[in-house]
Amino acid sequence: MTVLQTIAVGFDGSPDAQVAARWAFQLAGQVGVDVVVVHAVGLLEHVAGTGNAAELEDMARDLAAEAGLEPARVRWHLADGDPCSVLARAAQSPISADLLVVGSRGHGARAGLLLGSTSHELAEHSSVPLVIVPAGRAGLDH
Amino acid sequence: MVVLIVSGTTGEFDHDCAGHPERPARIEAVMAGVDDLRLGTDLEFVLASAADRASLERVHTPSYLDELAAFCSEGGGDLDPDTYATADSWSAAVRAAGAGLAAIDTLRQRDEGVAFVAARPPGHHAVADRAMGFCLINNVAVAAAALAAEGERVLIVDWDVHHGNGTQAIFWDDPNVLYVSTHQWPLFPGTGRPLQIGGPHALGGTVNVPLPRGATGDVVRQAIDEVALPAIDEFEPTWVLVSAGFDAHRADPMAELALSSGDFGDLARVVAAFAPRPGRLALFLEGGYDLGALRMSVATTLGALLGGPYQPEEPTFGGPGTEMVQQARAERVAAVRRAQETAPSEESSP
Repeated sequence: MTVLQTIAVGFDGSPDAQVAARWAFQLAGQVGVDVVVVHAVGLLEHVAGTGNAAELEDMARDLAAEAGLEPARVRWHLADGDPCSVLARAAQSPISADLLVVGSRGHGARAGLLLGSTSHELAEHSSVPLVIVPAGRAGLDH
Repeated sequence: MVVLIVSGTTGEFDHDCAGHPERPARIEAVMAGVDDLRLGTDLEFVLASAADRASLERVHTPSYLDELAAFCSEGGGDLDPDTYATADSWSAAVRAAGAGLAAIDTLRQRDEGVAFVAARPPGHHAVADRAMGFCLINNVAVAAAALAAEGERVLIVDWDVHHGNGTQAIFWDDPNVLYVSTHQWPLFPGTGRPLQIGGPHALGGTVNVPLPRGATGDVVRQAIDEVALPAIDEFEPTWVLVSAGFDAHRADPMAELALSSGDFGDLARVVAAFAPRPGRLALFLEGGYDLGALRMSVATTLGALLGGPYQPEEPTFGGPGTEMVQQARAERVAAVRRAQETAPSEESSP
């Protein structure tokens, strides 16, 4: 069995992504592993003046602190691409995650539809186990 | 020579999202660029019909096509943070794909001229089972797959500033299609490394040349001459399709390459020389989001193919990237050699 060493969590700042990050940080704290917070930089975000990566990183680090995870266990990773491809690549070097965590819906996606759902697409394409954290879940203990 | 402007969407469909850079005004800019050339009888317009289902299924999975059609019929929405669909987007997308098919059919009947497929949404990021990067249906791939199915050997040159990950993935292991891309690196979609050379049945059939921000037209031409040309010569294409994005222009807001419209004229002359005979070259609109640059670049591209003097901006020289091109060539040669000696590695996946 693979020993869990690195969790990668997709993060776009949406409420569902925050729920997923909180869950990943709590799990990491309990089992003593690192979390890489992965943010996909899309075409539109690249356009000057619309990027918000620094704010998202601050938000993610605040969530980690609230979850009691040591700062040294949290890494922030920006990568060009769409969320599904970027997260699928997180299983490869240099991140080499052995568990992916995502929220059930990201920014803009429509509830109840499979098309446009990163979590659904990752379920088909991920080469490592995937956890989809339901919307509204407060943490591991709830 | 006749220039065929093949259009799938002349304002008939409402594929538009407020504030989004991939917008109907792009086609108006393209048409204004065509008007600037005053081509007279050298110009013909072809209005395409929708691509047939069998042509679409050569490239996309049936389930994706069904889901996309249903998604649009229910009103559309965001397919990812970049890519939108409206109630009309399915109709627009299959008409854009049909425009590519109409372009190659018309060229084949005439055996002369070149075609410019002025249709949107663009296509080269769309993969077999997913939309992305403003793209719903991979238009150039639908056309290339139709040609390959008839035994043609298709060269796709992709000079859009972004790597055409969808086209690369679709033809990754197809020995009848050679895919060549120059693109800014790093940049969306994060693919397009020189180590990506094609699958086991098409080793060397993918050619990627990443370029640094600020690269000028001479560096793009160097990339084609030094990295792609050996593969193109060996491949001996019977058709040449171009993913003609114009977002490598220095005025484009989506990226940071430093080409002028004059560079696209030079590139057009280079790729036209790869076509084995007249009537075997079709260009497909991909990106290009600064409307003024798009208008000038389309005009200069078509003007160059007609051998005319239209060139409002001089080609550019002296930007960074020469060493990156040389490095790409070395990495590609080494990757091809390694792959021929051993099984493909993880590094060489699409």
